[in-house]
Amino acid sequence: MRALRWGAVLGFLPLLYAAAPQPSDWVPMRWPWSDAASLELLSGTPTNCLLLKTVAPDFVQAAVARGLVTLAVIAPDGDVAGAVRRAMAAKVTGIAIDGDLPEGAAAAVREAAGSAPVIELTTRNRMALGSNAPIIGTYQGVWPGIAVEEDGAKKAAPSGSVWIDTNTGFIRAVRAWGDATLWMANQPPLKTVVTGARYLQVIADAAISGARWVLALDDDFAARLARREPKSMADWKRMADLLRYFEQHPEWRAMQEYGKLAIVQDPAKGGLLSGGILDMIAVKHTPVRPVPRQHLSAESLAGATMAVNVDADALTPEQKEVLSNFTRSGGMLLTGPPGWKDQSPQGDKITLDKAELERLNDIWRDVNSMVGRRNMGVRLFNVSSMLSNLLASADGKTAVVHLVNYSDYPVEDVAVHFPAEYKRATLTTPEGVAKSLEVYPTEEGGGVDIDKVLVCATIKLEQ
Amino acid sequence: MTRREWLAIISAAPLLKAASGPEPPASPVSIARCASYDEDVTAKLATLFDQLGGMEGLVRNKTVTVKLNMTGSPGIRFQGQAPGLTHYVHPKLVGATAYLLGRAGARRIRFVESPWATAGPLEDVMLDSGWNVRSLESAAAGVEFENTNAQGKSKGYARFKVPGTPYMFPAYDLNRAYQDTDIFVSLAKLKNHDTCGVTLSLKNCFGTTPASIYGDNAGVDEPNEKPTAGRQAVLHEGRRQPSKSAPQELHPDSSREPGYRVPHIVADLVAARPIHLAIIDGIESIAGGEGPWIRGIRKVKPGVLMAGLNPVSTDAVATAVMGYSPRAVRGTAPFRTCDNTLVLAEAHGVGATDLKRIEVRGVPIEQALYRYDT
Repeated sequence: MRALRWGAVLGFLPLLYAAAPQPSDWVPMRWPWSDAASLELLSGTPTNCLLLKTVAPDFVQAAVARGLVTLAVIAPDGDVAGAVRRAMAAKVTGIAIDGDLPEGAAAAVREAAGSAPVIELTTRNRMALGSNAPIIGTYQGVWPGIAVEEDGAKKAAPSGSVWIDTNTGFIRAVRAWGDATLWMANQPPLKTVVTGARYLQVIADAAISGARWVLALDDDFAARLARREPKSMADWKRMADLLRYFEQHPEWRAMQEYGKLAIVQDPAKGGLLSGGILDMIAVKHTPVRPVPRQHLSAESLAGATMAVNVDADALTPEQKEVLSNFTRSGGMLLTGPPGWKDQSPQGDKITLDKAELERLNDIWRDVNSMVGRRNMGVRLFNVSSMLSNLLASADGKTAVVHLVNYSDYPVEDVAVHFPAEYKRATLTTPEGVAKSLEVYPTEEGGGVDIDKVLVCATIKLEQ
Repeated sequence: MTRREWLAIISAAPLLKAASGPEPPASPVSIARCASYDEDVTAKLATLFDQLGGMEGLVRNKTVTVKLNMTGSPGIRFQGQAPGLTHYVHPKLVGATAYLLGRAGARRIRFVESPWATAGPLEDVMLDSGWNVRSLESAAAGVEFENTNAQGKSKGYARFKVPGTPYMFPAYDLNRAYQDTDIFVSLAKLKNHDTCGVTLSLKNCFGTTPASIYGDNAGVDEPNEKPTAGRQAVLHEGRRQPSKSAPQELHPDSSREPGYRVPHIVADLVAARPIHLAIIDGIESIAGGEGPWIRGIRKVKPGVLMAGLNPVSTDAVATAVMGYSPRAVRGTAPFRTCDNTLVLAEAHGVGATDLKRIEVRGVPIEQALYRYDT
């Protein structure tokens, strides 16, 4: 139903200006200023789509003159259609609804927006998963970073590693369902000092799994940046460099999650949560391939040697047969505990409660035991403060391993072990490093060493 | 250090009643300054070895087993720093040790540790700690690695009987690597310890005990060859006994307090499995506890390396370098809530803690002093 509605809302898009970028290329940011001079900050950055809470015609005109896309941010309550009409009168490119529209309100918004694009930034539950919308988005996200307990201690994961709050599991689950561009539009937590490094981590947290974080600055940083303070300008440049790093590699976004471990899960349920099974596995750096329950087939499991069926009762008889065939052909299958139901987000709550987390921990421990030291695509060492993502091209000949460092310190001496079919390895970083790595033999095939990772690094593996 | 302070440290001996019987052996201890791991650690260590009379006589054509200190999960870091800069021995010192032992003629150099909650290859733990395993392997001929949390590459366990009157267990079942060796080296870090006050070459050997037998999820009857937990329940707190395949506790009605149990167990272990060479990494470390999971720890840079042929003497000197009396009694720093492991080992006849009997070579204690208690 929602997919159809989305199709109707977005089945438009003769864009106002032919030269404007396509929605899939929009690099979005919540723009906190409305003076035309502020646009100078965008010089040399890839940001090309401004989400405007305050729509001033002069500002919009100045933005358009710079080839920028402008989206008026409209709250979903009150006279939404009227707000849309007023925004359109200011000649914005389109509309961004920041929240869940009341049932039945979409038609009025559509009518008010005319042919302009309408992007809905909804709760995770209301996202138009699997639709052909060019952009789907949510304002709900965890604020990525190393989790800290209330007393200031770092929260430990079951692995003995620090726990990293991340949206990557959610992003992977959603992107496994469809090809829509995914925007993470969560904002910095209130009353929190956000360092420049933290912004970089948040950008990378979305980007390594193929999504875009809608850049949003905290008030303090925005004020300092408006004054062009050197420190904030330096942070801003690093943010731009990181955005550019990912935007210069659209091929990464086209690659698929790869791993010999498949997680069969309903993206519309547990896949919408953060801190769930995908994130637990991510902390262990086991490459994993999310398989939407709805897409479960022999093809979707091709190349997998292990599978986890998170919510066994949710499968149809045909889907159960696919998994039976998988095990008959030698695959290992782990099934969630009997009676366990995959949870989905409730209202503003997008993480598991303690009791559910305990039950999921049981599955996690079983997965951990099943995987052991097996190389499920790549094995990484000395990466406890990092998250990683293994992506592979459609033909499997090229793979990339993204690394994001969530600590405030560089990580040195990372080792990467991979199967023997990969013969060449190249390291790239946002700081401009681009070099071939010496591939040495390991028991699994090959290995490379990385001297230092600041915030982000990518290893390209080629057959 | 003032002369008065120095006298206070060395004259603390009368606080404890000397053990009866023959005097425990004392042996020279060497101290070198080494401000950072960027210095020539190998040269510094070579000087220490030379001051001890050289390593050739000890290791030539021998199998040498080196117990490392890699306490806690490699994933838990202090302020994001590499564990070698805080609570693990540093891989540069490990490599230097391998190189120098190899140069002295060691036939085989086996690095061992029972790392946190895994019986997987020690090489994996090293890689997870940011160590370059290939460099270590190439530091000398015959370098091997063994995770001693389970039986590992051997079949079955070796039983080490505690000589004389054991404190806690009559004997301990350990990985065979601790038996199939000619020379046993304890390569430790200069640290405080939450349970034992200090952790040096003696306490490092607590980690020889396999989690398969002494771990929280050790098998009840037989060892669990895939342990996934630490050793709190059996050894620290005595809430359960080790696997029945191993010797059981002598005094099940004795104190369950970790501050009593762990020092006594360590003293048993070092009497049962003698240490031939103690090396202590005090270049960079932490104070206030043994790892990042202890509240209130802080980074320290004592800038010292130490080595000795008697572990009790070496630890006595190291304890003094940390600003404590090596013979301090329970209730005084650093043994505020525990018994003194050094004195317990001394009472087992392992070595002397009396600084007046220990010759210090190289840098004197008072010049190497780095107070761990501020």
